[in-house]
Amino acid sequence: MSKDLKLEEPLGKVIVVTSGKGGVGKTTTSAAVGAELARRGHKTVVIDFDVGLRNLDMIMGCERRVVFDFINVIQGDAKLKQALIRDRRLETLSVLPTSQTRDKDALTKDGVQKVLEELRQEFDYIICDSPAGIERGAQMAMHFADEAIVVTNPEVSSVRDSDRVLGLLNSITDRAGKAGAEPVKAHVLITRHDKSRISNGEMMKVEDVLEVLAEPLLGIIPESKAVLRASNLGVPVVLDDPSAAATAYEDAVGRLIGEQIEMRIAADRRPGLLQRLFGRAV
Amino acid sequence: MQKNKRQNKAAIPEQEPRVSVPHQNIPPRGAPPAAAIKPFQIRGRYFTAVALRPEDGPLDQAFYAALDAQLRWSPHFFDGAPLILDLAQAPGLTRPAELQALTDCLRSRGLAVFGVQNASPLQTAAAEDAGLITIASGKDAPLNTDGPARPGTRRELPKKLRPPQNRLITRPVRSGQTVVAEGGDLVVVGPVSSGAELIARGSIHVYGRLRGRAMAGAEGDEDARIFCHSLDAELLAVAGLYRTSENLEPELLNHPVQVFLQDGRLCVETLG
Repeated sequence: MSKDLKLEEPLGKVIVVTSGKGGVGKTTTSAAVGAELARRGHKTVVIDFDVGLRNLDMIMGCERRVVFDFINVIQGDAKLKQALIRDRRLETLSVLPTSQTRDKDALTKDGVQKVLEELRQEFDYIICDSPAGIERGAQMAMHFADEAIVVTNPEVSSVRDSDRVLGLLNSITDRAGKAGAEPVKAHVLITRHDKSRISNGEMMKVEDVLEVLAEPLLGIIPESKAVLRASNLGVPVVLDDPSAAATAYEDAVGRLIGEQIEMRIAADRRPGLLQRLFGRAV
Repeated sequence: MQKNKRQNKAAIPEQEPRVSVPHQNIPPRGAPPAAAIKPFQIRGRYFTAVALRPEDGPLDQAFYAALDAQLRWSPHFFDGAPLILDLAQAPGLTRPAELQALTDCLRSRGLAVFGVQNASPLQTAAAEDAGLITIASGKDAPLNTDGPARPGTRRELPKKLRPPQNRLITRPVRSGQTVVAEGGDLVVVGPVSSGAELIARGSIHVYGRLRGRAMAGAEGDEDARIFCHSLDAELLAVAGLYRTSENLEPELLNHPVQVFLQDGRLCVETLG
């Protein structure tokens, strides 16, 4: 373990990535946001809360390095340091994988709190990758969050589920229960944005999504082949070759840490003749 | 002799507790005797009942068909709800057999009929025969008074001025959330999502888009109203009368509206 690059206290901010609905891009977002924060020099850890269906380790490309996991730490079978996997590409990035063999009941509130408190002492950002649904796993992931990224697709059922999750963030989290505490700060991240399907009327417009969710927009991630490719390679999309999705995630992270960045809706360009002649275009 | 001794030995320990235990235990327990020994407590209970008000017509097939249709339309609303027969509109329903038949039919549909209200003396007698109690309907006064008179009558009930029990919500009301204003009006500054529920004893005001369900006058206040900035509701109800999105006029959608009861009908009107 190398020494801390920074002398000041770590920020210790817990951010949950959640959505309600499955398949909207929570894990991709957790990996991308975590990697981008780390690339900017912030000590970041990404935790997988999807006990029994772990995916984060694959998307981060460290599935073969998992020895101990989050549940082992909660149950006291391993130390946190033993379970944390440091990324090979970015030394500021770590992953805390979850168990593939246990289920969500293994997550206890006290256990989660203890692990998060320990991580707060060491990391600037703690990204909690929530499972789908609003049951135990998702509730544990959001319970101690300071901020939330609510991932939603421009599609009615996804938006309604996100709305439900926003309601839970305001009612069942630790911050919601404490008198005088600031509520969990929520951001909306629209993923799988497809201009052509929106203009066809097959998908919801960004304004309509935001009108329902009534929370600030963190970014719009275009539907992109680069995302799928990066997942299959086990590389967070921002660390892979440049793509519209990667740029969108970079902008989103900039906004997350307080930068003012104009919202732009990028899309992958179709490869032009020159690009096709001179090789692969993303 | 031995036998006798044994019996004596056995009898003493048996008797001792019988004598000593009550002496030790009863006095502290029964210290204020009159109050604690009372085997029951009397508490005031306040609950909401549904009133079924039959029109003055024959209770025939058509009546039950319409009733069944209503129950199918909102099955959970009536589930196990205590029900009163309001006979104000049916002065002709005086024969005990007829009232008994109506009660039986309602009970067979899972409605818990327990009383009548606004009954004439004849009907009261018939109700008694059918095992129903008569509820004094004087309590309903607020329902019958006109709008402007209501605040006055309300204020007279409690001797002292109490703080208004309204509720103000300044955050969006999300899908799956239920916000209840038990004592008064509910004001929401922000949107109300589809799948959210607002319930108020008084009126409901939504300064935002209303996509969910809103139930004003939850305890029967027919003067309660619903106001919203932009209407896209799943359900609107005032004092139990309701409309769903399917029977709202499409031209009202996305407009500021108010919802109120007039002549027993639920009216939705654009504002401004």
